[in-house]
Amino acid sequence: MNRNILGRQGLFALSLAAGIGLWEIAGRNVGAAFMAPFSETLVRLWQLAVDGQLIVQFLDSAFLFLTGFVIAFCIGAPLGLLLARVRFLRLGLEPYIMVLYATPMVALIPFILSIMGFGFGPKVLVVVLFAVFPILYNTTEGARSIKPELIEVARSFRSGEWALWRDVMVPYTLPFIMTGVRQAIGRGLVGMIAAEFFLSSTGLGQLIMTASQNFDTAGVFANILIIWLLGVGLMRVGLMIEQHFARWRV
Amino acid sequence: MRVITGVVILALWEGVVRGFAPDYVAKPSAIFMVIPSVVADPAFRKATADTLLAVAQGLIIAIVLGTMIGLAMGRSQVAERLLRHYVNGFYAVPMIVVLPLLSLWCGYSSLARLATIVFAAVFSIIVNVADGAKSVPREYIEVARSFRSGRLRLMIEVVLPAAMPYFLTGLRLAAGRAMIGAVVAEFFIAIIGGLGYFILYQSRSFHHNEAFVGVIALAASCVGFELFVNWCTRRFLPWYRRDEKVE
Repeated sequence: MNRNILGRQGLFALSLAAGIGLWEIAGRNVGAAFMAPFSETLVRLWQLAVDGQLIVQFLDSAFLFLTGFVIAFCIGAPLGLLLARVRFLRLGLEPYIMVLYATPMVALIPFILSIMGFGFGPKVLVVVLFAVFPILYNTTEGARSIKPELIEVARSFRSGEWALWRDVMVPYTLPFIMTGVRQAIGRGLVGMIAAEFFLSSTGLGQLIMTASQNFDTAGVFANILIIWLLGVGLMRVGLMIEQHFARWRV
Repeated sequence: MRVITGVVILALWEGVVRGFAPDYVAKPSAIFMVIPSVVADPAFRKATADTLLAVAQGLIIAIVLGTMIGLAMGRSQVAERLLRHYVNGFYAVPMIVVLPLLSLWCGYSSLARLATIVFAAVFSIIVNVADGAKSVPREYIEVARSFRSGRLRLMIEVVLPAAMPYFLTGLRLAAGRAMIGAVVAEFFIAIIGGLGYFILYQSRSFHHNEAFVGVIALAASCVGFELFVNWCTRRFLPWYRRDEKVE
């Protein structure tokens, strides 16, 4: 058992070291315009952090992401429950939602740009569009799988529509909503970067763009590293939330 | 029912645009009017063909690479521990951040688009194939072993078919991501053309109706691929039902 853990940690450390080593060697042997070694990337990251740019732009991105995500949640979860509860809405809207879910939302960015311009609003809209459908879809699927007996029991105890939602539908559906939340986090992040790339550039997206336009390869790598960590970190958070609520999933 | 809501949605869209939006904004009636001329336009056809071809190529590369790496990770503990963190990490990262880097490496060419598509698609295939290969029932493998089947044959004849449903799930995700990758790459590297550039160009010159036909083409290919995969599942894997897993 002990040896097993040691082996697992050892292999992980080995693969991490090998990855960094490869990166370093490749960075030193390929031209400076193409790749920056790991050490240089860390130095650049430190510079960015010290001169305050990184923090400012990071907060900017985070604010955009959070605003969009909260709006997506506030639309997706209630609408999903409603679709599950009201049969004719579901029958009517479901195929269209599926089509929208499958459509690459990035294709709508040029429209948003030329209709709404460069402000903060259109960027939030992009994040919302990316994030809302996983939440909506999972919520509907979850709420539809509620056993009819549960609703019948609630009804026979004369529970009203409001009590039904509060005590049966929402608790039952919560784990499914959280699966949607986890997926939405990933997609929302893509939306955030896409908005920062293609609408007015701000935040971490802008840092990458400027770095790549100045052929500051170490800067590009430093920013990718940051976004990478952000992505992995948020994924972890999403998984934790999902597992926390999955405890009473049957 | 569906038709009615469809009509209502379109009518709402039409009404809102007519009432509140400037003239150039896309509205259903105008989109409908321009469909024939756009479809007849050789530039549009070439753009669509370019994008779809690139996505197909990228998907094939991603399938080959992803299946091999995924099988290795699913069946070998060492490979799994060496690679898992990287694969999960790259899977979680928004793929478009590597775009500036890929355009730096591959130049402003269609190679960069292909690289973006492969990067976007490959990790979801790896993750799903690895999960599938891990979940092969132990008895299958033991039976194959006791009939003295070699490692390679075991992989191809037992593990691969058993992992097939997982692979198809991965493929479905990968196709969507590949499409996004292609469009983003075409926005970014406008010079290579394609459907993404067509949409960008038309909407910049305020031809929103024409641009929207491009979006419809994209959505149609995504939905079409989804239906195709579903059909394949039913046709070739009749023993596998998706609703069983949901329950």
